[in-house]
Amino acid sequence: MRHIFAKELKLNMKSFIIWSLSVGLLGLACILLYKSMQGDMKEMADAFSNMGAFSDAFGMSTLSIATLKGYFATEVGTVHGLGGGMFAAIMAISIISKEEEGHSGEFIYSLPVSRSKVLLAKGLCVAVYLVAFTIICGLLYAGGFVALDEELPTGQLLTFMVRQMIMNFELAGICFGISSISWKNRMGLGIALSMCFYFYDVIGRVVPDLKDYLFVGPYSYANAAEIFTDADTPVKALVIAAVMIVCSVAFAFWYYNKRDLAS
Amino acid sequence: MENVIEIRNLTKSYGKNRGVIDVSLDVKNGEIFGFLGPNGAGKSTTIRSMLGFLKFNEGSIRILGMDSVKEHEKILRSVGYMPSEAWFYDTMKVSDVIKYAADVRGLDCSKEAAKICEKLKVNKDKRIKELSLGNRKKVSIVCAMQHKPELFIFDEPTSGLDPLIQKHFFELISEYVANGATCLLSTHVLTEVNKYCTSAAIMREGRLMMLDTPKIDDETFLGFYEDEEEK
Repeated sequence: MRHIFAKELKLNMKSFIIWSLSVGLLGLACILLYKSMQGDMKEMADAFSNMGAFSDAFGMSTLSIATLKGYFATEVGTVHGLGGGMFAAIMAISIISKEEEGHSGEFIYSLPVSRSKVLLAKGLCVAVYLVAFTIICGLLYAGGFVALDEELPTGQLLTFMVRQMIMNFELAGICFGISSISWKNRMGLGIALSMCFYFYDVIGRVVPDLKDYLFVGPYSYANAAEIFTDADTPVKALVIAAVMIVCSVAFAFWYYNKRDLAS
Repeated sequence: MENVIEIRNLTKSYGKNRGVIDVSLDVKNGEIFGFLGPNGAGKSTTIRSMLGFLKFNEGSIRILGMDSVKEHEKILRSVGYMPSEAWFYDTMKVSDVIKYAADVRGLDCSKEAAKICEKLKVNKDKRIKELSLGNRKKVSIVCAMQHKPELFIFDEPTSGLDPLIQKHFFELISEYVANGATCLLSTHVLTEVNKYCTSAAIMREGRLMMLDTPKIDDETFLGFYEDEEEK
């Protein structure tokens, strides 16, 4: 199984490097731009904090974008949330189905290894890359704070990165389940799914009636504005995330073991 | 003589579509078994059921004395399979694919792989995406043979191979069979059946019929490919 795991790591390495550097460096660039924009930020912060529901949706009513912490939560929080979600979805939704789409399934499954072991190797590969993605982006963001000689909000940044990683795991888990039933690469579906969850969260924060149902979506517990204002831990949302991850991955194993493989 | 393959009453359907119906088949140790039949007759369905790619509806399959469902992983250790379409990972080098197949088996097959590569003139430095169908098939042959399996399963192995490589391929099979291996050969080429096979069966519309002899003439052979209505 370790050879399949190593091969998956190798085959997905390029995609991982591109995504982690793109998202991480974009976030870092945002942070580094803060100083040059700091002068205009105060007026902007006042305007943004008085936009009613939209200020709530993007956390600008509770955090001032005139401070680096507030600026990070609103700007980099969005970049990392969207970028990380898309990376997780794209990687997981193609990891199983690519064997049948690329017709390499007959090669790999004629080797003496069970479908469960192949899935385990693929799932581990996704998990390793999501953790590595979080570490690389987290280090780049922390580097941005240090480069600007600003105080690093270590605890909040760590909580933000870990919650974002859990959100990535949840999206990846759902996409892993979809990948197990698909004979084709559904990259578009993966991107659409991550975008839908993101906009569900944004709309949920704008529309008052939806606020009570926000916890269902994976972005609810990874909201940067809430984390950087030390809001209560959304236990219900995190429990649902854990259940979703376990159920999606268990479904992938169960379904993939009972279905026919395409040639 | 012990049966290496024992299929009993195998039925596999794809929803409402027919796959194979009530197929029973024995392949004995040391045989080169010709598996014939028109496209869509059910040869690949039978082979893919044997290898666990398809979950069959009814019947049982025993390979090398083991149950194909319960002991699937163990069976594959002793089987070398070459699919009709030889596909691998496009970006990998030929040498990496061959080594990867051996590594997953937990074996060092470098010596045998080198021998087969030399015989089939396989360029190990190229990437898979740079190879023609014929050259991909040669890589597939190496992956199927390098671990010296007890049972070979070949699905239309020679299509796309040049005549000299076809000759070398059959020399290799004859060598392995002489050393105790068994071979199931799915093919449309009559000369291969006549020349190399020791027994044969034909599949038509999902059903299997054993042939008295693999030595058959052109007319009889082509007759197998005619539609029921034409007969």
